[in-house]
Amino acid sequence: MSERQVASIDEEIEPAPTGFLRRYVFSHDHKVIGRQFLFLGLGFLAVGGLMAMLIRWQLARPGAPVPVVGKLLFGPSGGVISPVAYTALFTMHGTIMIFFAVTPILIGGFGNFCLPLLIGARDMAFPRLNMASFWTMFAATAVLTASFFVPLGPPEAGWTAYATLSTAIGAPGPGQTLWVVAIYLNGASSVMGAVNYITTVLRLRAPGMTYTRMPLTVWGFFLTSILNALFVPVLAAAMVLLLFDRLLGTQFFIAGSTPGAGGDPILYQHLFWLFGHPEVYILILPAWGIVGDLLSFFARKPAFGYRVTVGALCGVVLLSTVVYGHHMFTTGMSPLLGESFMLLTMIISVPTALIVLSWLGTLWRGAIRFPTPMLFCLGLVFTFGVGGLTGLYLADITADLYLHDTYFVVGHFHLIMAAALLMSLFAATYFWFPKMFGRMMSEGLGKLHFWLTFVPLNLVFFGMLAIGYEGMERRLYDPSVFDFLKPLLPLNRAISHAAYLLGAAQLVFVLNFFWSLARGPRAAANPWQVGTLEWSVASPPPHHNFDRIPIVVRGPHELGHPAARPLGRDWLSQTELVDETPPAAAPSPETA
Amino acid sequence: MTAVPAAARRREVDAQVGLVIFLGATAMLFAALLLAYAIVRAQAPAWPPAGAPPFPRGAAAVNTFALVAASIALRRGRPGLALGLGAAFLAAQGLLWQHLVAIHLGPTAGALGEVFFALSVLHAAHVLGGLVALAWAGARRRRLLTLYWDFVLAIWIVVYLAVCVL
Repeated sequence: MSERQVASIDEEIEPAPTGFLRRYVFSHDHKVIGRQFLFLGLGFLAVGGLMAMLIRWQLARPGAPVPVVGKLLFGPSGGVISPVAYTALFTMHGTIMIFFAVTPILIGGFGNFCLPLLIGARDMAFPRLNMASFWTMFAATAVLTASFFVPLGPPEAGWTAYATLSTAIGAPGPGQTLWVVAIYLNGASSVMGAVNYITTVLRLRAPGMTYTRMPLTVWGFFLTSILNALFVPVLAAAMVLLLFDRLLGTQFFIAGSTPGAGGDPILYQHLFWLFGHPEVYILILPAWGIVGDLLSFFARKPAFGYRVTVGALCGVVLLSTVVYGHHMFTTGMSPLLGESFMLLTMIISVPTALIVLSWLGTLWRGAIRFPTPMLFCLGLVFTFGVGGLTGLYLADITADLYLHDTYFVVGHFHLIMAAALLMSLFAATYFWFPKMFGRMMSEGLGKLHFWLTFVPLNLVFFGMLAIGYEGMERRLYDPSVFDFLKPLLPLNRAISHAAYLLGAAQLVFVLNFFWSLARGPRAAANPWQVGTLEWSVASPPPHHNFDRIPIVVRGPHELGHPAARPLGRDWLSQTELVDETPPAAAPSPETA
Repeated sequence: MTAVPAAARRREVDAQVGLVIFLGATAMLFAALLLAYAIVRAQAPAWPPAGAPPFPRGAAAVNTFALVAASIALRRGRPGLALGLGAAFLAAQGLLWQHLVAIHLGPTAGALGEVFFALSVLHAAHVLGGLVALAWAGARRRRLLTLYWDFVLAIWIVVYLAVCVL
């Protein structure tokens, strides 16, 4: 790229703010906002995880008082989780994990932190909008938290808030109204982020950073943002109509209440899943991108089939918009429509399989290193593989009619939404922690954390697949009241014990995180020896990221490059100009 | 010396790109609401629903002119006038809502009323957003504001045609 072009981009560097509030609270800096999202999300991840522990307690020992915290949390019922409390628990567990833990950590946290750094920009396109996005998310969490403390308690309509459970008929209390407002604000935050991320990728890429030289991580966040911009508003529409039903007395989602009124609870499901299925990909696309990059980095060779992977990611984005009906096979939709959705859903496994094959191709004959981020990436390949394969059973209408709303579904989506996403966000944390905070995390504790997470995680969700296949329905307060589910109690108990272990293992992560934050060894600029742009600046990067806007000359995965050998290493930076004439041009000492 | 205007020009284009993405998202919001309307209407035994009074199309059409005029005023570089016309549109919509409730076409009076209220209230919220932006930016950012106002006008015309005319 020409000097002139660079000069026009190399505008004056904005001085770093000095006041405490502008630096750490109302910051415009994408790196600070990313960390704010990360901490907010990790906090809610802990809350949602503890709720899962309580749910597992009830399923392992139905009706037994919860030890230690029972009296505090469930005082009026003598420490026992009441049916009402149980319903609220699984509702809030799902809501928190999807909207207030994974979304802020992965998209808000790592998306914010990585995007400008990875494409060679000084900040997002709209720094103030970025700040507004975080504080809107914060307001959403405040509203959601408030729903715990209102008369009639927190919402109990499930994370999907199906009508008519969520209308004024099923949920007369203000808790559900606050839930609707919180989800709306959460969506507003996501759309603000999406506008920012898309504009940033379209407009602020450094000279030479062509679309096919962008790291896969950037592709993941970019495509996720496109889906966010298009489909979160559909959820917003559902929330608006639900709010009107609750507050203004309209009857969009209430069937047959007035002659001539066409209110229909299924209408809510259409709107919800029209958003809800893209949402699955909104969350998994960044994870796929991150894993695509990290597998290449730690296999020390270029990502296999980069262009195929990018094409497959785009294919998944397109297909993800036309498969939502597979969530509604049991609503009595036209069989013709159902079959179309089944076919489209199964077709989506083609690009998905291409992505997984690219990962395996990347690993094939690589000089694989196994630091903690790599372990979590490999964990994702496994859990995502199993989660994806079980999706095929559910895509099939005849199998789904039996498995619908059983724990098989719960196991399936947890393998992806919980297991694979946890793996990716831990991989991302271990990988970018040095860049974010300037210190290394402990490898020993990291590896311990991996094994203590990976093994129980699979026990929990494989167990769920098994009890679901045996016919246990999801959201049951006490399965032991049904004779045919009584034999499953020992298995339920085993799942719960694995879940407690999984929960306890996260203490290792918390310890590692905070210990490393305070006492970890100082990180070098490029501890992983890779060539993407964020590793070409100091750890942590300065306020303006790059002293000079970098000029990109090659792709993100130049590992094991022969031209790097004379430099005494196996990688080339994306900005590095080296003599790339093949060594065959000069006779090597062996043949001479 | 030349770097700063170039940067300012680039930021202006950035803002336009961002606004277009935002308007795309907003269009999806209204598309989803119109889809809901289509489903409600397809499932109703008769449309307009039996017993519903005829919709006051004329009054709603008159309001449209205020919005068209606001868009033209903005194009002619009269942000103050556009602000007034936009506010007039909102006031007229308020009167229309009052009238609709009075003739039993309110949000609780059946499918036609609730569909119109949901779409027009949400549209009014976006007009209000445009008014705030207009009041804040004044004569600056004319291209962005014009784009936004044209979009809001286009949405209203689609809503009017879909609910009041068809």
